[in-house]
Amino acid sequence: MSAEIAGAQVRGAALATELLSAGYQGRPVVQELSIRVDPGEVVSVVGPNGSGKSTLLKALIGVVQVLGGRVLWEGREVTNWSPDAAARAGVGYVPQVDDVFAPLTVKENLEMGGYLLPVREVPGRITHVLDVFPQLSRMLSRRAGRLSGGERKMLAMGRVLMLQPRAFVLDEPTANLAPALANMVLEDHIRQLSATGASVLIVEQRARAVLAISDRTYVMAGGRCQLEGTPAELIASPDFAETFLGGARRPAAPTGD
Amino acid sequence: MSLFLASVGFGLVTASVLAIAAVGFSVQFGVTDVINLAYGSVMIASAYVAYFVNQLGPGVSIWLAMLVAAVLGALLSLVINKYVYAPFQRRGMAPIGIVIVSLGMLLIIEYTIQAVQGTGNLSYTMSQGPTLTFAGLILSGVQLAIIGLSVVFMVGLHLLLRYTRFGKAMRATAADRTLARNCGIRTDRVVTLACLLTGALCGISGTTFAINLGSFGATSADLFLVMILAAVFLGGPGQPYGAMLGALVIGVITEVSAVFITADYKYVPAFVILLVILAVRPRGIFNAGAIG
Ligand SMILES: Nc1ncnc2c1ncn2[C@@H]1O[C@H](COP(=O)(O)OP(=O)(O)O)[C@@H](O)[C@H]1O
Ligand SMILES: [Mg+2]
Repeated sequence: MSAEIAGAQVRGAALATELLSAGYQGRPVVQELSIRVDPGEVVSVVGPNGSGKSTLLKALIGVVQVLGGRVLWEGREVTNWSPDAAARAGVGYVPQVDDVFAPLTVKENLEMGGYLLPVREVPGRITHVLDVFPQLSRMLSRRAGRLSGGERKMLAMGRVLMLQPRAFVLDEPTANLAPALANMVLEDHIRQLSATGASVLIVEQRARAVLAISDRTYVMAGGRCQLEGTPAELIASPDFAETFLGGARRPAAPTGD
Repeated sequence: MSLFLASVGFGLVTASVLAIAAVGFSVQFGVTDVINLAYGSVMIASAYVAYFVNQLGPGVSIWLAMLVAAVLGALLSLVINKYVYAPFQRRGMAPIGIVIVSLGMLLIIEYTIQAVQGTGNLSYTMSQGPTLTFAGLILSGVQLAIIGLSVVFMVGLHLLLRYTRFGKAMRATAADRTLARNCGIRTDRVVTLACLLTGALCGISGTTFAINLGSFGATSADLFLVMILAAVFLGGPGQPYGAMLGALVIGVITEVSAVFITADYKYVPAFVILLVILAVRPRGIFNAGAIG
């Protein structure tokens, strides 16, 4: 694929990668991956454990080194920018693990989420976040390390909401949540984010649930994109249904580790 | 006055010096992830600078000289972290490797001081102030000033860490540097400021240490470093409140055992406590691991 064609493919995208390769100690885990998220779109990435989904998101926001290809944000090349630059530019990232400051209180975590705001705007934003996640208002002075899995994920989401980012990059926001709570997070909160015009790139284990809220989905395996499409297209694809929606099991889905 | 109360008095003064040192060490470790054994040598380098300022003229008080020592401690700590430890960390050196590097820095700094200054001991020119009796303890004005200074620094640090944006950013950076960057915090600046702050505490503790000792030389802080480590590990590395409590326990035990066992033996209890903590609770009695 030539660079010009790739360039045309990402025009107008909020967040995009072109032939992105990224990994650890110079060894690529993600290979030549091209994705795009348009403004206001919810785009999901699914795939077996170890297929490089987290690595993709980390490379996008500058935590993992990009070894080849490009990352674009609102039409600007930002390959290998720093995570703090990504935050300043309006991209909010919630990691899969280590998603809150465990020794800090819930309130302090939210304050750190609003670190880039003028000090006088912070209390107002905290009030807003507590409107979205009312459960957190009862535990503002509790240490984040003491929260339950669900409370912790809400705090992690609340932390990125502080800056009102224009794009959310979410790594398995429903991992370790009870199914009912997971569905609520996906259907209420994440769908709502895009309703306000934000773009969402979300990695999920719960393929069926995330398809229900996605505009488009990429299927990764072995660090590469294997399939791409709208939820309807994917559900119609026998390959996809078999692997992710519990059809007749194939001997082994390609996994990275 | 009983011998016990007298030793408790000494213990409180030693604990005050130790608290400033241990809190600086612990916060520095929390933010930079370096067990910085060169800390003791930066203390002594600062104490030397205070000496030279103190000797500039008869009117130059040691308390003024201490401010200059704080500046030197801050700059030296920053330079060591930025140009020695951080490059090794970026290349992925394991923590134990950095400890060895810091041991090397300790030797380099101490032998440089010895090469410049010789092996003789120095003393500050200062008055001990009036002797005061307080709750059965007899303390000199200088000793009371050291205790007061330490209390002021502990309260100040508490307010900084709990209530200021920078203090919270420092705790966030210590807890999870990547997540802090995801919040938009420029963690390299936070690390720089934290090195300056803890280096200033190191310089001040070095000067108060030298004042308390009476006369000091290039290697005078070597055993004190063991007490710092004991206080820091007792409190949990990276935990300033733990380090304060650890300093109180270790400081008082050390001086009491100087009187009731023998002065030569006074550092041994601290060392035994350190070994026991490392065996039982490698992360300290007060647990956690990041600035809480
Ligand atoms: N910090 C790391 N250092 C080296 N290899 C890693 C690191 N993190 C992940 N990997 C490897 O990269 C591959 C993809 O991991 P990851 O992106 O976490 O997959 P996923 O999120 O899809 O489960 C795995 O083989 C994993 O072992
Ligand atoms: Mg993952």
